[in-house]
Amino acid sequence: MDTIRIAVVGLGKMGLLHASILNFFPAVRLTALCDKSGLMVRIARKVFSQAGIRVVSGLEELADLDLDAVYVTTPISSHSAIARFIYKNGMARHLFVEKTLAPNYAEADELCRLVPQESVNMVGYMKRFSVTFGKAKDLITRGVLKEVTSFRAYAYSSDFMGDSKSSKTSGARGGPLRDLGCHVIDLALWFFGDFNVVSGANEAASGTTAGNSEFFRVQRSDGLEGEFDISQCMKDYRMPEIGLTIQGSNGTIKVNDDMAQLEESNTGKSTTWYRHDLNDNVDFWLGETEYFREDQHFINAILKHEKCEPSFLTAARVDSIIDKVRHMHGSGSNE
Amino acid sequence: MDLVQMNERVPEALFLVGDNPFHGISHLSQERARARGEGAGSSEKAAEVVLTSLQNSANGFTFSVSELTLSILRFIRKRRSDNLDLYPMVPYAFEYVRIATQTGTPGLVKKLAKQIVMSGGPRAVAIGAKAVMTMNPSNLLSTYLTYEISRVKSSAGKNMNLVSLILNEVMTDMALGLNLDWLFEAYVKFLSRRDIIPGFNTRNFPFFVQKFKEWNIDTRNIIVATPFNKAGFQMNPSKQECEKTLADLSSPIVLAISILAAGYLKPSAAIEYLTDLPNLKGIVAGVSTEQQARTTFTLLNESFRNAK
Repeated sequence: MDTIRIAVVGLGKMGLLHASILNFFPAVRLTALCDKSGLMVRIARKVFSQAGIRVVSGLEELADLDLDAVYVTTPISSHSAIARFIYKNGMARHLFVEKTLAPNYAEADELCRLVPQESVNMVGYMKRFSVTFGKAKDLITRGVLKEVTSFRAYAYSSDFMGDSKSSKTSGARGGPLRDLGCHVIDLALWFFGDFNVVSGANEAASGTTAGNSEFFRVQRSDGLEGEFDISQCMKDYRMPEIGLTIQGSNGTIKVNDDMAQLEESNTGKSTTWYRHDLNDNVDFWLGETEYFREDQHFINAILKHEKCEPSFLTAARVDSIIDKVRHMHGSGSNE
Repeated sequence: MDLVQMNERVPEALFLVGDNPFHGISHLSQERARARGEGAGSSEKAAEVVLTSLQNSANGFTFSVSELTLSILRFIRKRRSDNLDLYPMVPYAFEYVRIATQTGTPGLVKKLAKQIVMSGGPRAVAIGAKAVMTMNPSNLLSTYLTYEISRVKSSAGKNMNLVSLILNEVMTDMALGLNLDWLFEAYVKFLSRRDIIPGFNTRNFPFFVQKFKEWNIDTRNIIVATPFNKAGFQMNPSKQECEKTLADLSSPIVLAISILAAGYLKPSAAIEYLTDLPNLKGIVAGVSTEQQARTTFTLLNESFRNAK
């Protein structure tokens, strides 16, 4: 395959961001954009009329475009329905779905069963492509901490700070776990492997209001313990921030979007790597460098006929964890 | 106004004071940004920092157009009678992304349209309404730019000169990625007709220059603000490529931003690197205190004068 024909479904900020990055790749032909908003479709038709990009309002209109791949960047509640439609109608073999894969585990699981053979499928957990989290993963994999004993993970933003309708708005975006916390849950699964949810509370340890905050603990049979603190109404978090403090028998790793820091207990040595130290440049920058690497990873997997991570199957674990936390809070699987 | 006349409006060496610290922005660490945010204080305090910078060799102010920076302009207007050159940046992406997060992109478009209509006189409303009715992208862009320019001018008063209007990096780079040559052409045309130098902020400097050449857009007429720092921070695709592109340029006016690599570099080392770069027309430096303003702009001025 020399050229990959791609459509982007959902013209929100993530859809436009991915469309811009994808259009940079010589191997990609951005073929179509799709959105159900009449206003967005009207604007997009005018904007892209000269670029040869078709703009449509209905998924079925993508059927005749001989697509190789589709990016699904709509609100979370519609992810699995759109992905199912594309698979069931054979509209494209390869799918990228923004996080989270589905609004609940049952739908994520069903989707995983529909994946055609030789499909490259991926979910937009872009933090895996950040140089700082990549550094932390590398340190853990190399056994620098020896045995990992516990971790504390957080995800904070001020997105709904001072918004009187914040709980409702946040809920429409999937709630704090799906909208923000899912990234750090995915990172923890990537770093440590699977774990079980053992307790939870409907508010963050930071004390921010219920509805926009979650706190829960996890455990594994080998003794690993962890806790997650998620809030979308933290003061002064102009940009969302996620991070982990990882305790091991040989030291501690602190990692967030800006830096990774290793403190080795046997030597007392402390080393910090900022993005600057970790070759954070990309061929085309938009938003954050990790978006480019994420899209590059997906495109390369299609070109090379390889599997890529995080796949639907991997990402469905995040949906499973979120459902368990929600169940523990007594609010069912749909946030 | 033709190219030569427009460029004559820009001083030989541009030292612009930037507004990032006033918004509590740090690209080095969020922790530092939060600390800055708490200490940023009022727009009056920020205005004092800008005024101190101007007394110490800064010769212009660049800022994202937001309620905070418009308020800073109003304070400066009360305190300073001399002319001040302004290089505002639009849109203030952070605020628009926040609205899009809360309302969705169609909600953002509707809210912005409402703001434009509410802010203008009958003529502006008529032009805006026509742009919305026809959905002509160039007309929509013109309507939006008119709105932003009027916001700046009404806060700045008569003693401040709108030298350039700089397109925010997210907009510039998104339009580059999407190959929207018409947007760049419309932007350049609209501003040039109003004696305002079209400016672009980008983190893809070599790609930007390549596309402008491909589209045959005259780069002598524009300002490009882009990261240049010893650490290569935000210099995409690489520090070497950005340096080579700059060295090969005969135009446009290039301003270095992120010069301290967000606090990663010491000012002396950062400035030494910049003085060695060919074809650099100016520098943007964010400072958060009056003391920092004095030391940073004095150092910049002395270093560049000595380097000549």
